Amino acid sequence: MAREKKVEYYDVIIIGGGPAGLSASIYAGRARLNTLLIEKALIGGLATYTNEISNYPGFPDDPKGEKITNLMKEQAKKLGVNFKLTAVSSVELEGEEKIVETFRNKYIAKTVIIATGGRPRTTGAENEEQYLFDKGISFCATCDAAANTDKHVVVIGSGDAAIEEGMFLTKFARKVTVSVMHDEGIMDCNEIARQAALANPKMEFVWNSVAKRFEGDGHLETVVLKNVKTGVEIPVNCDNCFEFIGYLPNSELFEGVINMTPQRYIPVTEKKETNIEGVFAIGDVTDKWLKQVATAVGDGAIAGTAAERYIAEKEIFDTCIMQKEKQGLIYVYNAIDVPSREFLTHIEAIENENKGRLIVNRIDTYKSNGIALKLGVEKIPAIVITKEGKIVGKLYDLDKDQVINAL
Amino acid sequence: MKEVILDCLGEACPVPLVKAQNKLKELEVGDVLIVQIDHSCAMKNLPEWARKDGYNVEVEEVDDGEWEVIIEKNK
Repeated sequence: MAREKKVEYYDVIIIGGGPAGLSASIYAGRARLNTLLIEKALIGGLATYTNEISNYPGFPDDPKGEKITNLMKEQAKKLGVNFKLTAVSSVELEGEEKIVETFRNKYIAKTVIIATGGRPRTTGAENEEQYLFDKGISFCATCDAAANTDKHVVVIGSGDAAIEEGMFLTKFARKVTVSVMHDEGIMDCNEIARQAALANPKMEFVWNSVAKRFEGDGHLETVVLKNVKTGVEIPVNCDNCFEFIGYLPNSELFEGVINMTPQRYIPVTEKKETNIEGVFAIGDVTDKWLKQVATAVGDGAIAGTAAERYIAEKEIFDTCIMQKEKQGLIYVYNAIDVPSREFLTHIEAIENENKGRLIVNRIDTYKSNGIALKLGVEKIPAIVITKEGKIVGKLYDLDKDQVINAL
Repeated sequence: MKEVILDCLGEACPVPLVKAQNKLKELEVGDVLIVQIDHSCAMKNLPEWARKDGYNVEVEEVDDGEWEVIIEKNK
């Protein structure tokens, strides 16, 4: 019999512990939000698969990805972020209470930040499934390089990850054979890496080739490449194979719940909002142009701050603005607009004339328009009238008599 | 419903994964295997393999850089 799931409440739940999620947790933690970060495996995400990060500002000594993410984790822990290392089994994101379930727990939060990232794409070649991970096909040079000392490895791909990690492998392996789809000399990686790779004596290239089939008795022994122009098969005997041919988004959990692009990435606004209120998405799982540790960290900062703002505005909205005790008047204005600022004196007069039976709220949209959006006003300035916690009228003219008549 | 502890401290990939795979075969449905690891590489392949095979997995960080991967043989 399954035991009852334990229920815990949080302000923010972040799903995914890569650089984006860690950065969001730092901002949320610093805003004193009760924050939970759920990660299914190792904190640090895909960054931990990289042996050298040369372009993350502030780290001039080309550290391993893990070193940077461990520091982020330490910082988040210091700010009181809770970590849970487990996989999320299901989510319910609609409504005010967002539910995130794991196989043993049920977590309820006011906001959810999706930072589930991506995973390495596989070639789809024959028998690939049989040799994944410990049986010969790997996606992480950092993890498995040392186990390939004096061995022959095949690298598939020619992007930055393929060539840079391939060169790292040459420090251990006897020989690294790189399968490249393009014509001789053409690679998808940056020019510095390309030239270094071509000059590396341990690296060999098979141009115009893709993976066709994997063979071996229990463990991988041969990668059969295929020349894309001639169709000729090229068997390459090797000890292990590394695939670096791009990434796929980890968005399956949100299928049918969150809007996605045809490629299953999550589109977000400038504030990292998804199509569901209170649900944000950041990092590699989102539809964005540049996927780097530096951009992921930026996304996290925005979402952590946006989540804090969302919670604060929602609380003000529910308890003050949409109060049920008395009739309400909400004046939505922009403080830098002179006429709407001058009308404040009329609002004050109305407030004094109706003392005891009217509650007046003034919302300055200069800093944030979240509450204005919630009220559904078409333009600013606007005067919103409520009765028993419900909107009964919206006025867009700054006319005192009209306001008094509406009350 | 017993709990078995597998000490893989100090061991690098792919040793913890292979050891865990072999150990899990010996266990019965309902048993729980706790794999102790301190190489972060095993934190990538071990939980992923176990989940892919359909087992329930949870990880405890016992200390900085030291984990217990808890695998429930639920089938």
